[in-house]
Amino acid sequence: MTAKTIENNRDVDAARWEVRDFLAELDLRTFLFSDDYRVIALKGVLLSLMMLALAGTFGLTFRAELTFPDIQLFGARPYMNLMTLHGMLMVFGFLIPFVISLCYYVMPRVLGTEKLEWPALAHASWWLLVVAAVLLIIGRPDFTWTFYAPMSLRVGGPLVWMGYLAIALVAISEFLAGLVLLKSAVKWSGSLRDWPLMGWGMMTQGIMLLFSTPALALVGLILLTDWLQLTAVFDPSRGGSTTTFLWLFWFYGHPAVYLPLVPAISLVYTLLPRFLARPLWSKISAIVAFITLLVLSFGVFHHHFQPAVNVHTWVQRFFQIMTLLIFIPSTLHVFNWVASLFEGPIPDEGRRAVPFKFLMGSIFFIILGGVVGYINAQIAINTEFIHNTYWIPGHFHAMFLGFCAQVGMAAVYYLYPYWTGRMYNQRLANLHFWLWQVGIFGQVMTMYALGYAFFPRWVVDYLPIPIWSTLQFWLTASVVLVGLGFLVMAWNLLRSYRHGEVVQGDPWTIRPAAAPQPQPVPAPGE
Amino acid sequence: MYEALGLGTERAVLIGIMLALGVAGIAALFAGLFWSRKFRLPYSAEVAFVALLVGLLIYGDTTSTRTYRAYEALFPQEGDMGVGDEPPPGTFAKEVRVLAFQWGFIFFDGDKALRNVVQVPPGERVLFQLGASDVIHGFNVPAASITAELEPGETYYLWLRAPDKPGRYLIQCLNYCGLGHAQMKAWLVVAEEGEEAGDEEA
Repeated sequence: MTAKTIENNRDVDAARWEVRDFLAELDLRTFLFSDDYRVIALKGVLLSLMMLALAGTFGLTFRAELTFPDIQLFGARPYMNLMTLHGMLMVFGFLIPFVISLCYYVMPRVLGTEKLEWPALAHASWWLLVVAAVLLIIGRPDFTWTFYAPMSLRVGGPLVWMGYLAIALVAISEFLAGLVLLKSAVKWSGSLRDWPLMGWGMMTQGIMLLFSTPALALVGLILLTDWLQLTAVFDPSRGGSTTTFLWLFWFYGHPAVYLPLVPAISLVYTLLPRFLARPLWSKISAIVAFITLLVLSFGVFHHHFQPAVNVHTWVQRFFQIMTLLIFIPSTLHVFNWVASLFEGPIPDEGRRAVPFKFLMGSIFFIILGGVVGYINAQIAINTEFIHNTYWIPGHFHAMFLGFCAQVGMAAVYYLYPYWTGRMYNQRLANLHFWLWQVGIFGQVMTMYALGYAFFPRWVVDYLPIPIWSTLQFWLTASVVLVGLGFLVMAWNLLRSYRHGEVVQGDPWTIRPAAAPQPQPVPAPGE
Repeated sequence: MYEALGLGTERAVLIGIMLALGVAGIAALFAGLFWSRKFRLPYSAEVAFVALLVGLLIYGDTTSTRTYRAYEALFPQEGDMGVGDEPPPGTFAKEVRVLAFQWGFIFFDGDKALRNVVQVPPGERVLFQLGASDVIHGFNVPAASITAELEPGETYYLWLRAPDKPGRYLIQCLNYCGLGHAQMKAWLVVAEEGEEAGDEEA
């Protein structure tokens, strides 16, 4: 690659800011009301990290109950409250807003537009999320994050309506974020050829959000009116239909699982070239993969409740084929990243940088979580040990925590000097990295093993079958490492704000590694 | 379904393909990171890779569909299970109707209605006709490697080959169905008719 291609390539070099203590310039008023894209993004990142802390605590608490068979700590209701809040706050409060907010920060700079379009909508989206989180925590629903009707209409206390309302508010919040992302992404005035991958990714994300979230808003509102006995859309005992629920919810729910994925993929495309100091292997391959993922993502949702008797077998086969096909665009992204590593030397400064390590960890986990998609998609084997056993949490914790959250962490470490003017502590950041790799690997593998041993999802208690209790113990031990990693990160980011090394100049100026020189052949007799 | 049809090898091949893809992917990532030799992959490499994937996906789809159809072919046709109809002879050693409710299973076995227990002969094919009375439930028999998801108001069929070894085998709900979900279990008692089942648990 010549120097010229790098200069003109916004994909490689644009994601850099002035290094200064940006946080010190924010008073409360600016923080809450400024339309600066960086402030809106920071607000989102902070809220989602708080949600991560909260949802992670809930997760560790209910996990403690499962360490040994029998009930030790609490009964089914508190357990399900904690599990529901863990799932809902992680997906709606942490994962999706976390990576979207990081893209709010990165995209305007990479596109060179320096602003988010329709910032008022971004503010509204943030506030709606705050309200939804408060409603969820006060309402304490116990219907899991997939709230299958009519179960979700028959559980919970008198405040359970807050849960339904929160679902609708989350949908509106995500819809508004979709408008902001799509409008800001297409604001690009240059040629389509030069449009950075961050733009392609955010266009994909925006369209996905706009088409899928209305279904979730409908589900939330219908649950509310069904619960108020005004309607009976989802309740079969009053003439409703669970099939309607499943189709409507999963029409949101399957694109929804790509909502954290697509921004995370876009962030990899933006950050990886900074550490390699060269463009990635292929831009066109990435564009094709984004578009294919977008198109296919709306035609796979039925695999969440297959096989069903109330559809024709050809409908089932259609969804099976679509689900198998979506394996391809996801794999093309990974292929592109790995091919980029092969393409040239990795600069030493890049290799040692903590964000780069997190990117490599996340690629490891997208492979570990992604390959099981090959058998998950197939109806015949799905009905053996996969459907609703711990296999599925294994799959989505690898993808959500191992990939999406870790890419987000890479971006947080990457952006930290631009936010504070200081560098995080390298040793603590490396400790966080290794705690997470070991912890998440242990978590995912024990979950797969439990799934293969038919451990059911959503149980507060289980039979004292030796293989189950052994694996559950190691699962809890692994998750404790993940929790410790989070504490190390929080301590590091807070402490480094005062005590971190002050950064002079751009912290990520990584010189391209010299091309390997042919070794001189030693002359004979030397 | 592979288990019920005795197609363990085909299932092993599918799991093997998955493992091979995973190992190859992770090996490629580590090679890209640590192998000092550098080269630019041609686009044809990606085309070949996608072609390989398409082949594997076609294999997965056809295997799954063939197995699914073979499994479904044994389901009773319209009217077979109706009142007074004789089931097709020789296909199943036993046919049981099951109603899942919050929280348990009722097994209608001939003129008996049993809660959370059903007896089946060892090594024989058994047909279950399933329904749910209130919310969405699941019906999973780990020992026979088979699962169904039950929406209220629908009728489902599921058949399995009972384990050869007499004993008590777990049946569990796999769909969150309310606070009693964790207790929603039943026992598949494998024993000859008229014999008491052993105490061992599987």
